[in-house]
Amino acid sequence: MKMQKLLELLKDGHSRTIEMLASELNTSADDIRRQIEYLEQIGAIKQIAFPAGKSCSGCTGCEGGTGCKGCMPANAENNMGEMWEVVT
Amino acid sequence: MSATIALLGQPNSGKSTLFNALTGLRQHVGNWPGKTVEKKEGTFTHKGDTYSVADLPGSYSMSANSDEEVITRDFIASGKADVVCILADSSQLERSLFMLADYAGLSAPCFLVLNMADVAKEQGKKIDANKIEQKLGIPVMLFSATDTKSYDIFYATLERAIKEKSHINVSALEAEYQKIDGYQDIQQRISDCTIPGYTPMWLTVKILEHDKVVTAKLKNALPDEVMKHIEQQTKSSETAIAAGECKFNWIDSILSGAVTETKTKTTLGRLDRIYTHKFWGKPAVVLTVLLGLLASFIPALPIMGIGSGVDMVNGMIRSSLMETGTSAFLTGLLCDVLIQSLSYVIKMLGFVFGVTLVFGLLEEVGVMARISYVFDNTMGKLGLQGKSVMPFLVSFGCTMGGAAGARVIDNWGQKVLTIALAWAVPCGAAWAIIPMLSTVFFGAGAPLVIVALLLVMILHMWITAKIFGRKLVKTEDKCGMIMELPPYHKPKWGALMRYVFGRTKDTFFRVVKVVLLVCGIFWLLSYGGSTGENSILEKFGLAIEPVTKFFGMPWQLFLAFIASSVGKEGAVGVITALYSGGSIGTAFSEAMAGGARAANLNELLLANVTRPEALAFIFAITFNLPCVVALAATYQEIHSVKWTLKIALYYTVSALLLGCIAYHIGMLIW
Repeated sequence: MKMQKLLELLKDGHSRTIEMLASELNTSADDIRRQIEYLEQIGAIKQIAFPAGKSCSGCTGCEGGTGCKGCMPANAENNMGEMWEVVT
Repeated sequence: MSATIALLGQPNSGKSTLFNALTGLRQHVGNWPGKTVEKKEGTFTHKGDTYSVADLPGSYSMSANSDEEVITRDFIASGKADVVCILADSSQLERSLFMLADYAGLSAPCFLVLNMADVAKEQGKKIDANKIEQKLGIPVMLFSATDTKSYDIFYATLERAIKEKSHINVSALEAEYQKIDGYQDIQQRISDCTIPGYTPMWLTVKILEHDKVVTAKLKNALPDEVMKHIEQQTKSSETAIAAGECKFNWIDSILSGAVTETKTKTTLGRLDRIYTHKFWGKPAVVLTVLLGLLASFIPALPIMGIGSGVDMVNGMIRSSLMETGTSAFLTGLLCDVLIQSLSYVIKMLGFVFGVTLVFGLLEEVGVMARISYVFDNTMGKLGLQGKSVMPFLVSFGCTMGGAAGARVIDNWGQKVLTIALAWAVPCGAAWAIIPMLSTVFFGAGAPLVIVALLLVMILHMWITAKIFGRKLVKTEDKCGMIMELPPYHKPKWGALMRYVFGRTKDTFFRVVKVVLLVCGIFWLLSYGGSTGENSILEKFGLAIEPVTKFFGMPWQLFLAFIASSVGKEGAVGVITALYSGGSIGTAFSEAMAGGARAANLNELLLANVTRPEALAFIFAITFNLPCVVALAATYQEIHSVKWTLKIALYYTVSALLLGCIAYHIGMLIW
């Protein structure tokens, strides 16, 4: 069970990139990506959504809900990659 | 003849392109009854036959996770569609055939369109549609919906699918499912007519996947004791994973031998091999940040030059005002408050510009994402989750942003600890005044002071985590995260510069307001007039000086420290007012032979503040509480007066303590 193994692997507390998971589980990055997609669908993992960048509703560059220009450049979250955490 | 076609596919499978190309202007857009999901229908004629097309909402699978998926499923099961056209993205069949695998077992006839064949071809993939068709038992075509000339093959396949009423051959898939514990047991208890439109295999798999809608429907259709027995079998969460696994295995078996690709082995780039290295990752990241900070001095220097230019102009204005006999009060107000503040503000902007540019650039090219990866495990050692690193990174810009960013942490204790630590990260205002003051006092040694501050920041966070961590976070099993690091790419200079200039502009207006206001107030309070008598403020200052000296600060700097609690820029306003406007300025210039009244503030500062005192002051304001608004933002996020005050008090005390230590270390050096 590949997906079960993937979840087991993360229990050691260390974070991994998709490429690292692929090499540890001896499969392709695309295979890992579809597993992530599926695990996310069934609610075993969830993507971490950072509120910053959209609107932090506090800092000096914020324009009341329309977006925060102060904390990070526009669309900065796109450059931060994606992260998923295991739902416990 | 007329027929209804339903288009089914995951988002980005090119469904809309196909729908638009088929129906052109003959579309109708509405809503699905009782739902806010868009309903798109249209018609087209081909060879005299009329076809109606329903563009089903894009969804990941046939599970009931969203309105879209329920609508899609109900529509197909209702039998309204004569044929279902399933779309998959040829460039990533492993993933996109999941919809087909999830569809298998529904009773409506279907055919498979491997869309975006052009993209797959570019990737060097060769797809044998015939081979896939043989394995699936339904018409399969390789297609590119954007290529308007290739639609003949689509119509031909469509006609074939309608004529043959083709169904997916599920025997291989069912063989996979049978390996799951409990599958056969459940499947035997369901018949073809338990819920019309769905086969027992499909229903069984959905139960194993814990599909709520299917489970509810079966509860109505099956006797209670049968349902109880079924639910016993599906208690574990692993059945859903197993069911998904079966689909993936089946997809792989369909694709094996049908897709050949020039395999590009996924290897880490040279930079990533360093950044993700177990040992060298952290030094590499720290070095990157330090080099980035040093680099931000480069664009800052020319702007600092402008600030110094203002100093010189200030001197000229002052002497000409003196000559024309303008009152000392007005001269002081104009030169000591207004122009002097402006000079400082411009110097500050230099660093805001430099730091924002360099770190915006690091962010844009994708280095920031690596930083958050590298420090993931360190966060764990502090009792935090890996994602806490994001609020910290945001706090370099603004502590309030960091506090808001901590919302991503569900656990209250960890959230409080994250915010408490984020306070130690020097914010944008600190990055404006600290390098400026460091340059004034230490000249070329300023970068060293910055490096020392960063190292102390790390130590500070570590100690703070140890102090507060025990009460706030319990040691629990921590699961690692999965990260997809973005590829390195060239920065979008336009967007980056807009951000940098926007931020510099915002900072300018805010800083001008704060500095002028604070400077004005303190200047008035300290204004001794021509009588030479001590002002009330000075009397007060001299009275508290024995205490403030303990922390390494003369009373003027101590008052600046207090002002920095309101907002760090305020400290500069206080310094400007107290050192240039007050009696120190007068006393100093009188002491100067020849009475060079136009002596500039930098010289005054250097003459009146020793280097250890300056160091103490710089450390104290850097690690003081960020500002009152951040205090309010913190309360807003953690909803605890007790903890907000606790953190604030801790920061005030620890800042003074750090100042004291810095002073004594400074005494040893100089």
